[in-house]
Amino acid sequence: MAFEFTPDRWERFQEILSHYPPERKQAAMLPTLHLAQEQNGYISPEVMEYVAQLLDVSPAQVLDVVTFYPMFFQEPVGKYIVRVCHTLPCALCGCRKIIEHLTEKLGIGMEETTPDGKFTLLGVECLAACNQGPVMMVNEELYGNLTPEKVDEILDGLE
Amino acid sequence: MGTPKELRILYENIDLPGMYTLEVYQQHGGYKSLEKLFEIEPDALIEMVKESGLRGRGGAGFSTGLKWSFVPKDVEPKYLCANADESEPGTFSNRYILQQKPHMLIEGIIIACWALGIHTAYVYVRGEFTLGKKRLDAAIAEAYQAGLLGKNIRGTGFDLDVYTHPGAGAYICGEETGLIESLEGKRGQPRNKPPFPAVQGLFMKPTVVQNVETLSNLPFIVQNGVEWYKNLGTIYKDTPRGVDPMNTGTKLYCVSGHVERPGVYEVEMGLTVRELIEMAGGVRGGRQVKAVIPGGSSAPVLTPYELDVPCDFTCLQMNKTMLGSGGVIVMDETVNTVEALLNLMEFYAHESCGQCTPCRNGTPWVRDITRRIFEGRGKPGDVDHLIEVANMIADVDAFTWNTICVFGIAVAWPAVSFARKFRPEFEAHIREGRPVVLPVEEAVTPPEENYAWPQTIPEAVRRPTWDY
Ligand SMILES: Cc1cc2nc3c(=O)[nH]c(=O)nc-3n(C[C@H](O)[C@H](O)[C@H](O)COP(=O)(O)O)c2cc1C
Ligand code: SF4
Ligand code: FES
Repeated sequence: MAFEFTPDRWERFQEILSHYPPERKQAAMLPTLHLAQEQNGYISPEVMEYVAQLLDVSPAQVLDVVTFYPMFFQEPVGKYIVRVCHTLPCALCGCRKIIEHLTEKLGIGMEETTPDGKFTLLGVECLAACNQGPVMMVNEELYGNLTPEKVDEILDGLE
Repeated sequence: MGTPKELRILYENIDLPGMYTLEVYQQHGGYKSLEKLFEIEPDALIEMVKESGLRGRGGAGFSTGLKWSFVPKDVEPKYLCANADESEPGTFSNRYILQQKPHMLIEGIIIACWALGIHTAYVYVRGEFTLGKKRLDAAIAEAYQAGLLGKNIRGTGFDLDVYTHPGAGAYICGEETGLIESLEGKRGQPRNKPPFPAVQGLFMKPTVVQNVETLSNLPFIVQNGVEWYKNLGTIYKDTPRGVDPMNTGTKLYCVSGHVERPGVYEVEMGLTVRELIEMAGGVRGGRQVKAVIPGGSSAPVLTPYELDVPCDFTCLQMNKTMLGSGGVIVMDETVNTVEALLNLMEFYAHESCGQCTPCRNGTPWVRDITRRIFEGRGKPGDVDHLIEVANMIADVDAFTWNTICVFGIAVAWPAVSFARKFRPEFEAHIREGRPVVLPVEEAVTPPEENYAWPQTIPEAVRRPTWDY
């Protein structure tokens, strides 16, 4: 099925495009991909073709970018993306216990999605919130000073 | 001389409710510097910033004014990129500026653009900073509304557009040319230098890339003057060639790991690493300190013998490490230094952009040697092997790198410093064939055999007195 922006996203895309010199449309690549992923959940081949055509580049150039950046998904992901930090400062604050708790609770490993499509679990590098370690993000929200109990509370509260 | 105290300038009122709005920011002196700014000739302003001693807070500590003086005047357009990618492990001060005082960053951007004759600025915000980007976008919109951005700012005839640009989770996009490539809509793979961005950067035009904290210092320099600024921090005399003696202003130190009160501490530069740890409540549970990384994960590690070094650009450089991004990671006696290094090498192996063979292949190799030592599968000679492989990516003693960008050095520095300075603990893993945490005294290479010894602290012409 062909992909195209909803009318309100089309407007946002036009706004994004206006930030860059007209002959440098490619510069709008990352914000455009974020916008497309927000609508579609992941960057499918159809999305890549659409974005390529909007920015006057080849689909291969879009693929090149998509594969470089960890925040873009090429497969469908869960409704909630749980990003748990595993870098040194958080490791010093006991993130291993949080990671074990998450994998046990959700019954999946890192980079996996629960069968009901609710959660995707990702191990990520430092989220620049080390003073609150251990930390995780659930979609756009950041949660710090995690304990297994706090993780339960956060995840159980999600629809 | 008093004991070191916090002095909040950039972080003043950072916790105030609504500080991210124009109204509250202006109630507390925000945008005051603009009353003076447009009276200052751009060239005079570049001189002021040079004279102030301000050094880049993003990692390299390069003189901001000096960098500005390399920008050609007669080329149009020119660009400013504010670096809000903040991804160096252990660093988290930019996050709170974006979330709580985005207008301070905008004010700094206006100043830099006025000095350099720039009419378009991009703020490259790391993709995970969702709240920060939202607040900054709202602040930019408010600033346009109030005539602080856009056409003919305050009737001066000066035009400036500011846009945010989201990253997408790649550490290397914090490197200035990786950032530029990423902004152009490509993979964030750093460029060979020269040409430097100041000459050919974004869209091949002159570009200044500046960290968020660096830019946030500018309103205070303009408003209070160069002399005021130079009366903060530490200035040394007679430093060796190539070592900048200026450590003026305050620094947003990010203290994390095994301290009682992790957080951002804004202090005049000049306090020692030990004093900074004390400021953060000391080591948790009154334990002994084992290792401290003073400037983000790329900085060579310090042992307990090296904590009386002032935590500033000059002294840390002279002691073979760096202030870097100001991320101070504290590790207590319970830490396994091999495991700590393994964690960092996993980070770097994951984040290498893959362009240069020494970095792409060498980093996972160093990681694998570290892992096998940690897991008790190490062989005699592995520690030297680890150091040798790391030095092939970048030679830490010669300070040369066989790679396009200094990510290579950022890998070799922690690898070589951990292996050399905690060699007894590394060797114990190999000897006993299992992870071993040695007591601090036994884990550390004796200071006289430590390659960073003896410690050098130059004489200062200006030091903080902390008498407030
Ligand atoms: C691997 C690598 C990652 C970097 N990441 C950042 C970063 O996240 N934020 C930043 O401001 N500078 C970062 N830098 C430093 C930038 O290349 C650049 O020096 C800096 O943004 C210049 O601004 P400043 O002079 O104000 O510090 C990084 C450098 C390297 C080599
Ligand atoms: S040193 Fe590493 S990160 Fe830098 S350009 Fe080379 S491969 Fe990429
Ligand atoms: S290490 Fe987890 S937020 Fe920095």
